[in-house]
Amino acid sequence: MLSCARPAMGLAIALASILAAPLQAGIKLITLPPRERVEIQLDNPSVTLVEEERVVPLNAGVNEVVFAWTNTQVDKESIQFRSLSDPENVKVLSTSYPPNENALTWQVAAPKAGSAKVRISYLIGQLDKSFAYEAVAAKDEKALTLRQYILLHNRANEEFGVSGMWPGFGERFERPIGTNETKQLLSSKFENVPVRKVYTADLSEFGYLDAGKQQLRVPMHYLLKNDAGNALGQFPFMYGKARVYQDDGRGTTAFLGEDWLKFTPRDDEVRLYLGVAKDVVVKRTLAKRDQNRVLGNLFNYDVVVRFEIENFKDQPVTLDIAESMSALRREILGNDTGRPVEWELMTDTPLAEMLDKEKTTADKLLFHVPLTPRGADQQAAKQTIDLHLLIKNEW
Amino acid sequence: MRFAALIRIAALVAAPVFAQQNIDLSTVPPRDTVQLTIYNSEDLTLVRETRTVSFKQGINPLQFSWANTLIDASSVQMRIKTQTDKLELLDTTYPHDKPQMLYWNVRSTMDGDASLEITYFTSGLSWAADYVCVSDPDETKMSFEGFVRITNSSGEDYENAQVRLVVGTINLVEKIQELAQRGIISQEQAGEMLREGAFTAKAPMPADARVFLGKEVAGRMDFAGGAGAEAKQIIKEGLSEYFIYTVEGTETLRNTWSKRMRLFEGKAAPFHIQYRYRPQEYGEQLVRMFLLRNDEKSQLGLTPLPDGTVRLFRNNGKDGLSMLAQQYIKYVPIGQEIELNLGPDPEVIHECILLRGYRDNTWFHRRTANLYYNPAQGHQIKMDDQVSGWDEHGVWTDRIRNYRAKPIDLEMRRAFDGDVVFHSDLNPTLHDYRTVQFKATIQPAEKKDLQYRVTTRNGYNQKEQHVTLEAGS
Repeated sequence: MLSCARPAMGLAIALASILAAPLQAGIKLITLPPRERVEIQLDNPSVTLVEEERVVPLNAGVNEVVFAWTNTQVDKESIQFRSLSDPENVKVLSTSYPPNENALTWQVAAPKAGSAKVRISYLIGQLDKSFAYEAVAAKDEKALTLRQYILLHNRANEEFGVSGMWPGFGERFERPIGTNETKQLLSSKFENVPVRKVYTADLSEFGYLDAGKQQLRVPMHYLLKNDAGNALGQFPFMYGKARVYQDDGRGTTAFLGEDWLKFTPRDDEVRLYLGVAKDVVVKRTLAKRDQNRVLGNLFNYDVVVRFEIENFKDQPVTLDIAESMSALRREILGNDTGRPVEWELMTDTPLAEMLDKEKTTADKLLFHVPLTPRGADQQAAKQTIDLHLLIKNEW
Repeated sequence: MRFAALIRIAALVAAPVFAQQNIDLSTVPPRDTVQLTIYNSEDLTLVRETRTVSFKQGINPLQFSWANTLIDASSVQMRIKTQTDKLELLDTTYPHDKPQMLYWNVRSTMDGDASLEITYFTSGLSWAADYVCVSDPDETKMSFEGFVRITNSSGEDYENAQVRLVVGTINLVEKIQELAQRGIISQEQAGEMLREGAFTAKAPMPADARVFLGKEVAGRMDFAGGAGAEAKQIIKEGLSEYFIYTVEGTETLRNTWSKRMRLFEGKAAPFHIQYRYRPQEYGEQLVRMFLLRNDEKSQLGLTPLPDGTVRLFRNNGKDGLSMLAQQYIKYVPIGQEIELNLGPDPEVIHECILLRGYRDNTWFHRRTANLYYNPAQGHQIKMDDQVSGWDEHGVWTDRIRNYRAKPIDLEMRRAFDGDVVFHSDLNPTLHDYRTVQFKATIQPAEKKDLQYRVTTRNGYNQKEQHVTLEAGS
């Protein structure tokens, strides 16, 4: 005969009526109080804490309460028992752990007979979470709606029923969690989030699109600032996959691409890479490399990095030009001295005015360059911008 | 298959001592009392048991055996507790063909009962501490509960045993488990093994060992309740370099089972939160620490805290707990600070940024003359002169952003190699010859740049191997 048996699994709490009876004792009478409430705490980045409440009938005196689990990865060391209804008097006297069994027995003291509401907490494996994001941009790509989802992966072989959950930020919410389910739970939604499209020319980070022609790969990112002024900033964003769609103006959306959203603290920028922008053409050359002796074998290098830029888009855009000083020195010296680069930005070109002083560091300079759209004749004006630097005290 | 373990003493009836008889008659007196003293630093337990044995006038042979247990045969001792003027232990014999057995011959001048005390070392019994802490939602106080968990893998059930647990590192020159497996060896054999380096000897305990004050009888667990619902006291007292916890009454410790009991409870221990950057201790990250002290003010301090795992939770204010940290702590003496590391905090952001680097004070080496020149001192530098010494300056900032609702205390440590001058107005101190420490408080919603300049003297300029502090930037 074929039968469809439910796999042996689950967590059970039992009240044994015989005092001081070992778990293996053959004859015993037990009651099985069901769960009244389950809370799944998802706020720790690496472990999941389950808290469940049960109403346990207790006799006056010492009671044996057995907690057992099968086919689940409950961390035996982490299991805690707390009395909610009478925490001062209903207490665990000792805990016994039988050999070779996923179980323990609490010796619980109760001042009088009656029901006690207790909370049992434990860390559980194979019940974990990840984050996912969905962004739907408006047709003009000026703003978007951002949704954050929690993906709850329940491979713990346990059905939790309707459970409260808290990811560590935002509001607590309740959903049913079934056995071996993965659930996508909407945790936050942000509307009218301003978005900025950023095109970046950064040889050290993104390389060439066509090395022979010295044409840089220019990625396009959506940039969202995680602050209150940009309809965000309530909490840091956790790492997760972000899928980006755009309203196509016909009542539906088009998929633009996806990227990993990195951990983003408040006030930092979310950068979502959506692909290479082939309509913004940037060629980068070394227009000047003069070696000037200072003293002995000590030299300064007078360097001009030239960017020839064409914007074939019909919209004005901003190009971020980033230049790594250590990579530039390797390029001009052919080796790496390991010393920090001592550089000076010369102010004889317009680019010096476009320096982002807040984000520029000792090793990386960042400039924001506005680009005009292509002309009415569909021709893009070629802008030539020089970055003039003095690399100092090298030997 | 599990072997039936058995420790028993048998009074042999009318059997000539050590005669090669195949048929014996014996009586088996049970244990009257048993006391276990379990050490946690070594796999060692001292068992002290008493049994009542009937004697008759003349020579009384007694057999003591411990099949399938982990007892060190060389440690078994017997002491006559009552009728001491009428009984005398004549000899102890370890038969060569029965490894887990010995015989005592007791001469008696009376007919009647007497109490014997038998002591021995066994391995396989162990205990460990663990702690459960729950912070309040405001993160100012926490409950701090200590537990002990005793595990019995000795092969023997100990029923109604008085249990004593010893905290401290005891010196043993041989492992009890090895001795249990080896059985009795002769002094000559032992000497031979010692000469061959088979044993690792440790320094003996100092004779003038300090004695802890054993004044308190604390850790009381005051449960109200019906009959038998009183939680057992665990009495804590110092003994030489050790601390002994004695569990009130008796406990039954079944073989292969373990049992966990509460050691103490601090209901509202105040703690302090500090953010620390100590790469050598915590890695390259700013970590959040909960700091409290094992003292009376914290409702602790009744006992040193033995090594054990701390599980730290927080009442999340939403009728639930948050798991904050799980950490193994080493022995904490009374009065010492307990440091709990919660790891990095997504609401406190730390960036270490090199803002600018430059070099000066350049010295040149002239090979032909083997002399050093510095243009800043008016020396003429020739084309062939080589840079041989310079000062490297790095202007750094530790940028901290605090998104928490409270001000945070920060402590930064940075270690440098070589001849370094640390210039700052951060009131730094030296943690050691190469590590600078400075502190700051960051207000809620504040972004603070803690700036400093590090000058490293390189090559010919390097004269020292330490950090010097200087004011200014």
